[in-house]
Amino acid sequence: MRRYLGRKLLIYLLTFFVAVTIDWLIPRFMPGNPVDTMLARMALRADSAEVLRSYYIRAFKLDLPLWQQYLNFWAALFRGDLGISTWLFPQPVFQIIKRAVPYDLFLLLPAIILSWIAGNRVGAIAARVRWLDNTILPLGYILTASPYMWLAIVLAWALGNVAGIFPIAGAYGFGLRPHLSWLFIKDLLWHWFLPFSSLFLVMFGGWAIGMRNMIIYELESEYSRYLESLGTPQRLIRKYAFRNAMLPQITGLALQLGGIVAGALATEIVFAYPGIGYMILNAVQNQDYFLIQGCFLFIITGVLLANFIIDLVYIVVDPRTRLGMTGE
Amino acid sequence: MAQERPKEVRSEFLYFALRNRKLRVGLGILVFFLLFAIIGPFLTEYDPNTYAGPSAQPPSSEFWFGTTTFGQDVYSQFAHGLRSTFIVGLIGGGIGTLVGVVIGLLAGYRGGMVDEILNMLTNIVLIIPTLSVLIIIAAYLAVRGILTESVFIGLTAWPWAARAIRAQTFSLRTREFVDLARMSGRSSLRIVFTEIAPNMMSYLFLVFILQFGGAILNAATLDFIGLGPTRGMSLGLMMNNAVLWAALQLGMWWWLIPPGAAIAAIVGALYVMNVGLDEVFNPKLREM
Amino acid sequence: MRGSKFLTVVGLLTIAALVLAACQPATVEVTRIVTEEKEVEVTRIVAGTPVVEVVTATPAPAEEAEVTYPRNETLYTSGKQWGPPTSWNPLQPGSYAMGVIGLCNETLFLYDPLKNEYIPWLAESGDWVGDNVYEVKLRQGVQWSDGEPFTSADVVYTFELGKLDGVYYKPLWDWLDKVEAVDEYTVQFTFKEVRYQEWGNTLYSVAMVPKHLWEGRSEEDIVNGDNLPPVGTGAYLYETHSEDRMVWKRNEGWWAKDALGLSVGPKYIVDIVNPSNNVALGLFLKGEMDLSNNFLPGIATLVEGGYGVQTWYDDPPYMLSANTAFLFMNTTKKPMDDPAFRKAMAYAVDVDEIVTKVYGNIVQKCNPTGLLPVWEQYVDQDVVDELGFTYDPDKARSILAEAGYQDVDGDGFVEAPDGSKIELKIIVPFGWTDWMESIKVVANGAQAVGINLQPDFPDFGGYWDQLTGGTFDMAINNFGSNMSDTPWTFYFWLFRNPITDVMSNGNFGRYDNPEVFDLVVELDKTPIDPEAMKPVIAEIQRIQLTDMPAVPLWYNGLWAQWNSTYWTNWPSAQEGAPKYLPCTWNGYWNMTAILMLTELEPVQ
Repeated sequence: MRRYLGRKLLIYLLTFFVAVTIDWLIPRFMPGNPVDTMLARMALRADSAEVLRSYYIRAFKLDLPLWQQYLNFWAALFRGDLGISTWLFPQPVFQIIKRAVPYDLFLLLPAIILSWIAGNRVGAIAARVRWLDNTILPLGYILTASPYMWLAIVLAWALGNVAGIFPIAGAYGFGLRPHLSWLFIKDLLWHWFLPFSSLFLVMFGGWAIGMRNMIIYELESEYSRYLESLGTPQRLIRKYAFRNAMLPQITGLALQLGGIVAGALATEIVFAYPGIGYMILNAVQNQDYFLIQGCFLFIITGVLLANFIIDLVYIVVDPRTRLGMTGE
Repeated sequence: MAQERPKEVRSEFLYFALRNRKLRVGLGILVFFLLFAIIGPFLTEYDPNTYAGPSAQPPSSEFWFGTTTFGQDVYSQFAHGLRSTFIVGLIGGGIGTLVGVVIGLLAGYRGGMVDEILNMLTNIVLIIPTLSVLIIIAAYLAVRGILTESVFIGLTAWPWAARAIRAQTFSLRTREFVDLARMSGRSSLRIVFTEIAPNMMSYLFLVFILQFGGAILNAATLDFIGLGPTRGMSLGLMMNNAVLWAALQLGMWWWLIPPGAAIAAIVGALYVMNVGLDEVFNPKLREM
Repeated sequence: MRGSKFLTVVGLLTIAALVLAACQPATVEVTRIVTEEKEVEVTRIVAGTPVVEVVTATPAPAEEAEVTYPRNETLYTSGKQWGPPTSWNPLQPGSYAMGVIGLCNETLFLYDPLKNEYIPWLAESGDWVGDNVYEVKLRQGVQWSDGEPFTSADVVYTFELGKLDGVYYKPLWDWLDKVEAVDEYTVQFTFKEVRYQEWGNTLYSVAMVPKHLWEGRSEEDIVNGDNLPPVGTGAYLYETHSEDRMVWKRNEGWWAKDALGLSVGPKYIVDIVNPSNNVALGLFLKGEMDLSNNFLPGIATLVEGGYGVQTWYDDPPYMLSANTAFLFMNTTKKPMDDPAFRKAMAYAVDVDEIVTKVYGNIVQKCNPTGLLPVWEQYVDQDVVDELGFTYDPDKARSILAEAGYQDVDGDGFVEAPDGSKIELKIIVPFGWTDWMESIKVVANGAQAVGINLQPDFPDFGGYWDQLTGGTFDMAINNFGSNMSDTPWTFYFWLFRNPITDVMSNGNFGRYDNPEVFDLVVELDKTPIDPEAMKPVIAEIQRIQLTDMPAVPLWYNGLWAQWNSTYWTNWPSAQEGAPKYLPCTWNGYWNMTAILMLTELEPVQ
């Protein structure tokens, strides 16, 4: 058991190392470099641009050989230094992430958790109530099948522009100064609602369908039949089915939560909501090596941590896994 | 007797398949759009990108789906876009399934170190910055076409399939017939592909359908954020353009609504089919 | 239920997290700087760490109470900021937040492009007092927002900063010899080499920084610091910022009140970060945005359609022209090295199609010289009549035929005179939709006259790499053709030299002609007097139209649309309306946009 865990841990560390290296390397294969892109945005006179170009290339240490940049990166990482962003110059990458991530947590955490709970409930009920199966499920299919961005834009346009019920941009009213009061919190929630519900709806459909199918599998499986033939009350059988069906759902939840730092790019763009997703897109488009590295460092950590936790949970919950543990 | 069995199975399958309402509806929608994608482009004289008529015209007998800001024929864009949607689904979903199946089967059957390494690979692909990879690919290929996009989507979408198949294989590898095969001294690769895979055929098919739908949605997202094909037409690109040129605000709903609705219909139909097929493959579920 | 309790906790926690995040600028270190007259509060964001240093602070009660910005006192703008505001350092031209130069840190002069006038601003006057000595008299009674007086020491300090590596006006010191404070309000600039045009440009674009606050900073901090909160002499003070906005608050002690009798209308300016034009248009149509400097498609429809949307002109082209989009051709590659081929390209492009179809008439086809309408007086009509071009495919074909370009292999496209195949690409960055559509028109035009030209859309990094590295065939660009006080900036960009491996900005086609390079230098050394400048510019135009190193296509607009629901008296072409530039982009506040604010009136 301990050996197994040790091996797992080692593999995860190795994965971390390889993934971070790949993510460090990939942006550097892109044509151009962050300083040139940064200068292009400034649209300076050529003489000024040339002065700044040589300065920034030195300042960002992009004139060093690649292997040295790579070593510098790890050395800085151990000091907790993620570097300075070129797109959002002169802010340190860590600050940028720290300021943006709370918005994502505020949006995604409730959306993921609530949709998971609601989706599982409704899916489980739909598995045995026919009319529900024929109403909620098709709705769920349509929701998960529509391109999210399209759905969100139509939603924002219909409820925000045409009906005028909800705001269409910002984390809180543009005429509001952040402070602690009911007025502000109300406004915050009001701006949050539309992006949140669009995420909730789409995720809800996915969870509900997954749960419904899973429960049906379980209810139709041999052990359920066996229990039924023994005269076990339906309630109890359903309870067992529900429990077994939960396992993959928990995996899904953990993976979703692990990727939470990646933000919700589409939501952020459509609703002009601040967050890390939009940062990543821009970091890539602006070839901001440092911001890309920083963001992905957090994503890698999150995803691997979630995976590791799932592994642990499976060992405890599912005896079949233990069988595979010994391997060859 | 032995020769008749497969036929029997097939007709039984067909019987249930045809009786299954979900499968019929899903397949119906899918076939409709497929035919549309095949025939549709021939019904219009306009190229999707030429400025064919006056700008921002609502649907009419001349321009069935209206025109864009530039006077391009929305119908032509839609019909051509539908084609690429199916191409992306087929190729992207196909590659995604294939890679997922191979890795999932190997990891699930061999277990141990092989499993760990493949799991590591899966995790790395999961967290790779796909956006920048896409930009790099674009830089080296000069042109980012529908085909490149499909292959790319396939190569980044397989981890989910691999995970699911690995779990399935785990439960199959302890079954008697696999043990039997193993005792007969066959190589594990052969066992995987001759014993385990066929037993999961229906499951693999379902995975393919999901990957197919997923690839279409992925392509739509990539196109939407402006990382789609730089040449050609797709439904996602249509939506991207419609949004960039403020179609909704300017009242040109005919530019944005059809492509999104078509994707929703196609992918939705695939999902419904998936459930239907599930019921056909698993007799136990049929009563439902 | 267990679940619901858990949910409540999660909900509350996330709300709390967000409130804290949103209030981050409020986790501040409050320092008080006591000057003779008044106490000024300087707020400094302390990243990450909670309050580091709190000096007894009695909060000003009236100010603290104001938690919402009253609609009739607030101007909502958008169009400059594409990401969160991150810098308030006027030395960082690409990064500083909307309004840092102009609203907060001011320049010695303003420049009015519509009247071609320099307006004394922090300077009261400026004159050449010797062959190579320029003297600036500063305005008295100007104060930094912390109460310190603005004096010649600040001016000297600001210009001396240009000696540091990493300051964008460092090239100034190639020809500037020294800057001296004659007295508290007089500064003399002595030049090694007098470049009148460049100097005029410098006078209204370099923003003053306070010496007393900056001199203690390290070089690193001066060049790479975020300078928060900014202290300037300007009409606005830093109020707050967050991920999606930048807020400025009126400086009640602004010097121009007494000195010029000017006061700015809006008490608050909230600049909204726009992730997409789609959202900007939505906000604008909802009346939640007063002035939008975004490129909004279909604006013509909205102006005509009675949505309450206004632009500079009521009719096409609706907008003022801000810069010129050029078709650059790589003259180091065949066949673009052949002037005849380049001329044929000029005749082959149907610019009207771009103007009407792609832009819906919000841009203007440009003069063959490419000179913006504000520089109209410099266009030499004789040269244009003789050498100018218009869309004429037949003429393009005949030029090609005369120069020996023929379709030898019968594929519909011409081959070079030496028989080699011509296969060219024209590039613009992917996602720049208006340009993407435009080069399709350019390519179609070229194909129609037999030139095999295909549009291609690399991502921005790749586009810029090809352009600056000289590996492209053809491309559209406008990065240095912006409106300014002198056509010299325009020619400096178009004929940037020397030709190097990386052309940072300008002369992307690597057109190498010492004659025209010398003329650009000569223009720079010509005093700011249209009559003296015209002959030099005419010479440049002659060479430009003869050799056609790059083809000017259309004028991009000074995208500006506004809504009069809350604010009126906007500048426009209408009679009696103020004539200032309605623009929040970098470099435009000091081209009279600040005066627009003094004219705005709230709707009662």
